[in-house]
Parts: sequence; C-alpha cells; structure tokens
Amino acid sequence: MADSTTLFAGLRDRNRLLETVVFAVTLALVAIFSLTVDGFAARGNLSVILSNSASLCILSCGMAVVIISRGLDLSIVAVMVAGATTYATCVQAGLGGGMALVVTALVITVVGAINAWLIAFAELPAMLATLASAMVVTGLFRFAILQGEFLILLQKSNPAVQILTSDILPGVPVTTVAMMAALAATWVLLNRTIAGEVIYAMGDNFLAARLSGLPVRPVTILIYVWAALMAMVAGLLVSSASGAVDFRTVTNGTLLFDVILVVVLGGIPLRGGRGGLRNIILGVALIAVLRNGMTLMNVTTQMQDVIKGVVLLIAVAVENFLNPRDIETDTVGDL
Amino acid sequence: MTQAPIIRVESASKFYSGIAALEEVTFDLHPGEIHALAGENGAGKSTLCKLIAGVTTPSTGRIFVDGEEVSFANPKDATERGIAMVFQETSLVPQLTVAQNMVLGREKPLNSVRRVRNAARQVLQSLNFKVDPTQLAGSLSTAKRQMVEIARAVLNEARVVILDEPTAALTPEETDHLFDLVKQLQKRGVALIFISHALEEALNHADRITVLRNGRLMTTGPAKDFDRAALIRHMIGDDLVETAANRGPARARAAAPVLQVEDLRMGSMVNNMSFSVFPGEVTGIAGLIGSGRSEAAKVVVGHTKRNLDGGRIWLDGKEVRYTAPSQAIADGIAYVSEDRKYDGFFDTMSVARNIGLGWLAKFRGRQVLMPKERLRSVADHWRDRLAIHGAEGGKPVVYLSGGNQQKVVIAKSLAQEPRLVIFDEPTRGVDVGAIAEIRRIIRGFADSGAGVILISSYLPEILDLSDRILVAKSGTIVAEFARDEATAQRILHAAIH
Repeated sequence: MADSTTLFAGLRDRNRLLETVVFAVTLALVAIFSLTVDGFAARGNLSVILSNSASLCILSCGMAVVIISRGLDLSIVAVMVAGATTYATCVQAGLGGGMALVVTALVITVVGAINAWLIAFAELPAMLATLASAMVVTGLFRFAILQGEFLILLQKSNPAVQILTSDILPGVPVTTVAMMAALAATWVLLNRTIAGEVIYAMGDNFLAARLSGLPVRPVTILIYVWAALMAMVAGLLVSSASGAVDFRTVTNGTLLFDVILVVVLGGIPLRGGRGGLRNIILGVALIAVLRNGMTLMNVTTQMQDVIKGVVLLIAVAVENFLNPRDIETDTVGDL
Repeated sequence: MTQAPIIRVESASKFYSGIAALEEVTFDLHPGEIHALAGENGAGKSTLCKLIAGVTTPSTGRIFVDGEEVSFANPKDATERGIAMVFQETSLVPQLTVAQNMVLGREKPLNSVRRVRNAARQVLQSLNFKVDPTQLAGSLSTAKRQMVEIARAVLNEARVVILDEPTAALTPEETDHLFDLVKQLQKRGVALIFISHALEEALNHADRITVLRNGRLMTTGPAKDFDRAALIRHMIGDDLVETAANRGPARARAAAPVLQVEDLRMGSMVNNMSFSVFPGEVTGIAGLIGSGRSEAAKVVVGHTKRNLDGGRIWLDGKEVRYTAPSQAIADGIAYVSEDRKYDGFFDTMSVARNIGLGWLAKFRGRQVLMPKERLRSVADHWRDRLAIHGAEGGKPVVYLSGGNQQKVVIAKSLAQEPRLVIFDEPTRGVDVGAIAEIRRIIRGFADSGAGVILISSYLPEILDLSDRILVAKSGTIVAEFARDEATAQRILHAAIH
C-alpha cells in the first residue's frame, strides 16, 4: 500500500526494475540534451516542458486509474475534444466561465457514465466499448455543434478563456496548477480512498472482487467518469492555449498513443492491479524530455513517431522479460 | 531393483526468484517401477517432475537418462527420450479430436486423417478405453481426458510416464480404472511416477515411495516399508494425529432453516434442486463432479446471473433473489470458491489487504477514505485466529502455500461476519497439516451458531464434518442422511445409481 521506498529499490525488486531503467534513461537524456542541444537547459525551456506536458500528464492520470483497474479507455481524446467543444459553445452563447465549466462537466460526466454502463452493465470489453463511444462522440459533436467543420474557435480575449491561460501567481500558470491538482487528486483516490483499494482489487482479480461483494459496478462508473473529467480538463487547457478546438487531434494525432506510452513506460502493467502516481510522473517525465529534446534537435514528427514506437516496443519487451508469464501465474503451491 | 536407473536426478536444486523449490534432491527411477511422490503442497513434488519432463531446468544439479547426462531445453526434448508428463490441468486442445490430440506435436507433414484415427483407436483399444477417437477433447470428462493423455504417452512409446495428481478430480470408480491402467503400463515395462495427496494410493499402488518436505528429500524406499503414520511423519515432520473432529452428541436442531431453496433450475446443470440449511449445522452436499452442487450454490449467492429458469430461495423466511454477490454478502451469505486462484483471492496483494477487502465489502458503510487502523486490526485478528503463516513483510498471497492461501480466502469471508457460508471444496490442493486446521475452522464456525454448506467430493471429509448429508446427482438432491445413518457406501450408492 505505502510505497515509500526510493526508486532505487528497483535494483533489488524485479517488478521495479523497469521503473529504475526508465528513471536512469530519463536522467541520461537530460544530461545528453543539456550538453548537446542548445537551449535545452535554458530556464525558459524548463517551463515550456512543464506546460507542454501538463495536458499529457492530466490525461495519463485518468488513463492510469483505468488501466490499474484492468480496463482501457480509448475515448479520452474524443472526450477531451468534446469537452472543449461544449465549453466553447457555452462561452459563445454568453455563459460565464464558471457556469460554462459546470455545464461541460455535466455533459462529460454523462459521457463517462455511458462508457462505464457499457462496460459494467452491458459487460462489453472495455476496449471495444470505448473505441465505439469515441467514434460516436466525435461524430455526434462534429455533426451537431460544428456542422461538419473540424475547428471551433475559442476567443482568447474572452475572460472565460483568458483565465485558463493566465498565471495564478507570477510565473505559475493555471496549467501547471491544474497538473499538480490532477496528480494530487489521483494520489488521494488511489492511496487513501476505499474506491482506490477496490480499483486495485479489480485489476488484480476482477472475479474475486465481484465474488467478495465489492462494489465493482459503482467503482467502474467512478473510474470512467474520472477518466472523462481528466480528459475534459486537459482539453480545456490545450484548446484555450491554442485558441481553437481541433477535431483533428482525434483523427490525426498520436496523443492517445502517447498517453498509453506514458502509462506503460512508467511501469503500470496493462494487466492491471499495480502501479501508482510515481509511475505516471516517471512516464510523463521521459516522454516530455524526449519530445522536447527531439523538437529542439529538429527531428521531424514522423521520425519522432518512429522513435516513440521503438521505445514502446523496447519497454514492453523489457517488461515481458522481467515478469515472464509463467512466474506470474505459477503459485508457490504449484512449484 | 538391481538394474541401472532409467532416470537419475543428482543433487538437483531449483530456485524461483531466490526461493528454493527444490534443494539438493537426488532421485532414481528404475525401469518398470511405479514410484509415488508424497509431500505437502509446496514440498517440491511438481518441481521435481517438471525437471524430469523438461518443463523447467534445474538451477544446479544434473539429470541422467539411461546413464547419459541430459539437459532438456523444452518438454519436446524429454518426449524424444521417451518421457511424458500428464499434468494436473490437462493439456489437451479442446477444439481438436481425441485422435488429433494424440498425435499433436508429432504430426507428419502430410497426415492422413484415417491413419491417425486408426493409430489412435488401436492404442485406445489396447488399453481398454471406451473413448471415440473422433470425439472432441473438450467434450470429455476430466477422467477421460487424463486417460487420453496417458494413451498419447503410449502412442509416443513413452518409457517414463509422470502423473501429476491424477486422481484429484476422479470418482472412486474412475480412480480404480486409472490404477488398472497404471498396472497395465507397468507390465509393458513403462516406469511411472505419480504425485498424490491420498496416502492410501501411494501405499497400495506404488512399488517405491519418495517423500519430499520443503524442497528436500526426506526418505525414499520400498512402499511395503511404510505405513500411513510413517508417511505422514515424514511429510510433516512430527506425528500429526488425524482424528475425527470431536463433536459430542448431535445438538437439537433449530426450528427454522436459515436458508431454504425450492425447485431451483438453471440451464442443464441444476434441475429442481430443493434443500434447507439449519443454523448451527454443517450441511454436507456429496456428489460426483458435475452433479450441479457448485452451480446451485453460485445461483444462490448471485454469482451466476443468467439462465435462471425458476425456483425460490428464502433466507430466514424472507424470499430473496440475488443478482450480484454483493447483495448476498450484505444479507450475510458468503461463498468460498472451489478455485481460489480463479476467483478467490487477490494474488499480488498482501494477506492483510485481502482480508481488509473482504471487510470493506460488507462494512464500509458510507465511508470514503480507507479506515486504515480498523483494517489493520481486522486483518491482524483474522490472521491470528486462522493461524495464517507466511504473511510477513506484506508478502503477496501468491507466494503462500496452498493451505495458507485457502485460509486467506476463508478469512476474507469470515471477516464479513456472515450467518451462512458455503464452502466449496475447501481442502482441495491443501497440505495435510492445513486440512485439519481448515476443518476445525469450518466446524467451529458452525458451532458458533452459523449455517454451513459444505460441498466436497472427498467423502471422508463430508462424513467427518457434516451434521446432515445431502446427495446431489444430475442437478437435483436425491438423498438425505442424518449424521449417524450416513456411510460411505450409502452415499456413493445414492450418488451413482
């Protein structure tokens, strides 16, 4: 429960070895980029890395919770865009920032709850249910609100948008605060609440969780609503910074891939039941540094995709090598 | 036994993540002998067999076949040396026919369906099996599947056959048939190793017995030199007196049943099953595997929600119908699963977290945050009360022995303070020492005034623990015996005929 041990515990614990490797690779990349890439170690670049990775980190907070419960949510990027669209529509209709946020949160909660209903009550596999709902949500919002366009503008001069791009304290933007808040909330959920304990139990052995009488259905709803709300926050930050909601993020972007990359690289196994906040931070740190460094080195996006794909393959292979299935499934009683 | 051993394992050790499953064990198998491996769960029996069959490789030590040192990279290498292993969970492919399964892995580039079938039929007939080679393996009973695996070994001209707990899921008749077969193979000059928990099987059927404990070799010798007490002494270290639970005279029965089930029907497994359970009693349900006992229990607790075709259930006189186990648990009914690894415990979690989750399921109320102090005391209480060992340092349950794992599952349910617990095969895959303890726990729970349903395929267990014995057959209850009128013969007769 309490993972107070240091990262270097990984050297002794096979399950933690991947984390240690990722941590070491991140440090090595920081060192290499600082020495070889002009401007990487600059003070300004640090805050660029922080604010650029904020939305990735918030999305990963949602996805990590889902994956620890042995689920998967492929709809988060669609939900992210849907949330921003709703917010933009409300703001254009003249609603204040607070009211617009409440309406958006309600809409997104419903979307998350529908995902959860499909998984917990209709008992569809999470991957298919969220893949389908991602299509439905994207199509519906583009058709109903954008009338087929793929962009909806967010007036940067509008106070409801301005507040999202401003600094809370000098030098501390809302984005960074939102990221910290998402991390803190995820930590509380996973480590301090009963729901968090049930999430780990579901990831460990869903059938046992159900048979023990744990509230698997209510917690499933919580999980997918949580992921949807995290996606909403990320969506608001991204689109207010760029001044537009862009539906091409869903269809063309690699954001969903990046989020899964963060979770897996951070050391949260897709079979669930393990991992925590430390893993999210670790994964985000590696991807953020990698992305930033490659961009500064003028690596093309296509090449960046190749590198990220290779990194994911290596991580999965290392994970499989460290935790081979037979040791995982063998009980001592079977030895 | 003056011949050279066909297999010799020389001071072999095997470590899993630093834990020794086998330590410095030396083992000989002579041609044509039946060799029983005895020992508690986790004693290293299966590990030793896996080394011989090439499933794993020894960390240190050497293996010889016909006096020649070998190092098997995989089971196929072992098969080529004439060594075949029949696993606890059989390894047939359910979608293939019996004949296809028998040649699996040794197919020629072009297989004639007819030739394969005929070869399979010939072997099956020579062994006196009544199995159709064209049948799908998935449609066979456990016993028949095992026999097909043995036939496969014969077809592959195995000289050594290893049987890993072959009788765990068999009825007494099927067990007899199996040992007939074992003797037949022996006559053909095949050497056999079998692992068994039933001490009588080792004593009655083996030529030699080897006893392992905690991964070490305790003793090995001719079967006639052992008796039951000696065997148990070697297995667990000191004399464990196996006594029937001392229960005194039968108590007066409570007036009203805690649970009443009437005409329960579900799919093809449960047909008009009716029974009652009284508080303070252990109600044993005997029967063959597949007689619908577990299925009925799962319907009662809401584990199975589909295909309910009818029937009524009363708890304390109030009609209930659960669609999820959480509802049954809220009302005080718990089901302790027959397959703890599948749906019993959380294997990467500690003992304390497992027990805590059971408590939370019932008593969390409207709390949002984890009541850590409370959970710790609940977990400590049940861990001590059930004497669960190996929980030090928050070790995951997966590293515990079978007996301790089973106690964790029971503790998780008892922490919910239920008034009725259904124990489904509570001592399956549990070591001898823990079996006695688990039986005491079950008996003590009933004596405290709660209702207990005990589903077990092991007759002595049913006879030993139950106040009343029901016999299930083809999804219905066909007989009921009071404690003093029940005998093994009468129960078996009702269960089979």
